[in-house]
Amino acid sequence: MMAIVKQIRRLTLFETLLLLALLLLAAFMSLPIVFIINHAFKPFHELFLFPPTFLVKDPTLTNFYELFMRPVARIVPFSRYLYNSIIVAALSMVAVILSSCMAAYVLSKLQFSLKKAVMAMIMLALMFAPETVAIPRYLIVGWLQLNNTYFGHILPVIASPVAVFLIKQFIDQIPAELLEAAKMDGASELRIFIRIIIPLSMPAIATISIITFQGVWGDASASTLFMQDETMKTLPYYITTLTSGMANTVAGQGMAAAAGLLMFLPNLIIFLFAQRRIMETMVHSGVK
Amino acid sequence: MARVSFHHVYKQYRSEKKTSVTDFHLEIEDGEFVVLVGPSGCGKTTTLRMLSGLEDITEGEIYIGDRYINYVSPKDRDIAMVFQNYALYPNLSVYENMALGLKLRKTAKHEIELRVKKAAKILEISALLDKKPNQLSGGQKQRVALGRAIVREPEVFLMDEPLSNLDAKLRTQTRSELIRLHQELQTTTVYVTHDQTEAMTMGSRIVVMKDGIIQQAAAPEFIYRQPANLFVASFIGSPAMNLIEGSIEEDGGTHYFSNRRLRLEIPPQYKPFLASGKLRNVVMGIRPEHVLLEPTLEDPNDSYGAVIDVIELMGSDSYLYLSMGDTRVIARAIEPGSKFHVTDKIDIGFRMEMAHFFDAESGGNLGIF
Ligand SMILES: Nc1ncnc2c1ncn2[C@@H]1O[C@H](COP(=O)(O)OP(=O)(O)O)[C@@H](O)[C@H]1O
Ligand SMILES: [Mg+2]
Repeated sequence: MMAIVKQIRRLTLFETLLLLALLLLAAFMSLPIVFIINHAFKPFHELFLFPPTFLVKDPTLTNFYELFMRPVARIVPFSRYLYNSIIVAALSMVAVILSSCMAAYVLSKLQFSLKKAVMAMIMLALMFAPETVAIPRYLIVGWLQLNNTYFGHILPVIASPVAVFLIKQFIDQIPAELLEAAKMDGASELRIFIRIIIPLSMPAIATISIITFQGVWGDASASTLFMQDETMKTLPYYITTLTSGMANTVAGQGMAAAAGLLMFLPNLIIFLFAQRRIMETMVHSGVK
Repeated sequence: MARVSFHHVYKQYRSEKKTSVTDFHLEIEDGEFVVLVGPSGCGKTTTLRMLSGLEDITEGEIYIGDRYINYVSPKDRDIAMVFQNYALYPNLSVYENMALGLKLRKTAKHEIELRVKKAAKILEISALLDKKPNQLSGGQKQRVALGRAIVREPEVFLMDEPLSNLDAKLRTQTRSELIRLHQELQTTTVYVTHDQTEAMTMGSRIVVMKDGIIQQAAAPEFIYRQPANLFVASFIGSPAMNLIEGSIEEDGGTHYFSNRRLRLEIPPQYKPFLASGKLRNVVMGIRPEHVLLEPTLEDPNDSYGAVIDVIELMGSDSYLYLSMGDTRVIARAIEPGSKFHVTDKIDIGFRMEMAHFFDAESGGNLGIF
């Protein structure tokens, strides 16, 4: 604390102004977070106040109680969606990390004739918005008969051009001599990959884990498009159902607010833990 | 320990039109310390990498001992390499860095420990074994890289400019340590450098390369005394040999080197090599220590006037940068030069029995072939 005070004293006028401006900006940027957290604890009547309030006056856990224990005639309980979400997010992360790292290593350090073509295709893939590939994806998942399986959730996200690109930038900076030294030490390609490439690309891997997690955790499209069976759908899909349909638009608001907070929490926690690593990667790779 | 033989080895990179290494033919004896030296881009690294197996061989054969190793993978060649940028595994401790090669070869644990400790002791890095590479200074990293090579007890050491990332003082120090290490271990070593001083001081044999072609391979003193061609003459030695253009004339049975300014008698021992009576464009090479200055000048008739441009003090001796018209000559003055002053006009001579004559076109030394 004293150290901070000391530092502030040493600032010039311009730096002080800059600091103030940044503090204001940070406060403004954190408003949505404040809102999400407060909203989840609002009792029913506060949810619909106009103008809406940021802070909750009379906090309650009713929303959560309803979300978990909702006694209506739903066959599939909330916990099933949560379970699906966790499974899908975890498997997707593992799959993306593995496939991206392997692809990035090969593209970065091995020489083969089609390398340029493969890189060009990855660059090309970077430019497609997800919506444009929804129909081909649907067809492929259908052909492979992956409807109503976890793999149907995961397959569309495995090939991630952003992830491959990010990790490749990172691996590019590992000097070739390091791998050659390992080769002369007698390490196999697989061992070099596991013992040298993976540990040295950890910051990039952390970053793509987060990107992947956020993408999958908040995405309802796979549940909507490929999953007909209610028991295979994930949390984001469930949340959209809470507030859709005649009866729910009003009644579901409380549960939606609570679920929104639950959806948001993992992101916040991950970010707080991984913040430094992410910055490192972004700076390193020059990719946004 | 083993001999290494290169049999007419060529290397052409797929992206290049020309060969990067051409007809590299060399026998390296068991226990030798051979230095490949030459300007940047002359193919030293390429040659070393072909020997290490990291680069394949376009044509020719390489043997380690009696084993034909063209298609043997790097790890099975029984060699260890020290890289210029050390190439230590940043996520492993110094101990693990040194041990990895042995571990991957399934050496027994106590044996690994024994060898790593021994190498660490030789290199005086025992105290660093638990540190990570990024906690070490450049010199320490270099030692760890050496240690990693030593513990493997390979047949051959390969070193690619291992000292060039160190500062001048550390470089000199590590240089003598490497020499000591080689005397102790007696392992065949192939050492690459672009620094002729390093080559001269370390090599039991020097291989001078240019444009992928061996110019001369011989002991350091021999190369210094008998450079095979103009390139070797100008590359080896610091400051460089003086090269003066002129021609050879015969006058009454005596040969003379002459140009507009000089007329120097060529000693009789060169006679067998000089075409009788024919005028030739030649370059005379003479080392700074063989340029005679006033007190040692014997025959005043054979002396020429020169002006001192620069005086470079090098501790016990100093070098005088002289000009004779448009010809520049460097001379070594053994006594520190309070008696010489910049812009002084002095008389100089040449110890002609130490001079070399090179064909101006081919560059070959007329006194050797
Ligand atoms: N990987 C490569 N691909 C294509 N050309 C190369 C490669 N490595 C080296 N060369 C070429 O081969 C020649 C010799 O290079 P190198 O062996 O690195 O020289 P040195 O180590 O003596 O400085 C150079 O002309 C260089 O351009
Ligand atoms: Mg080199």
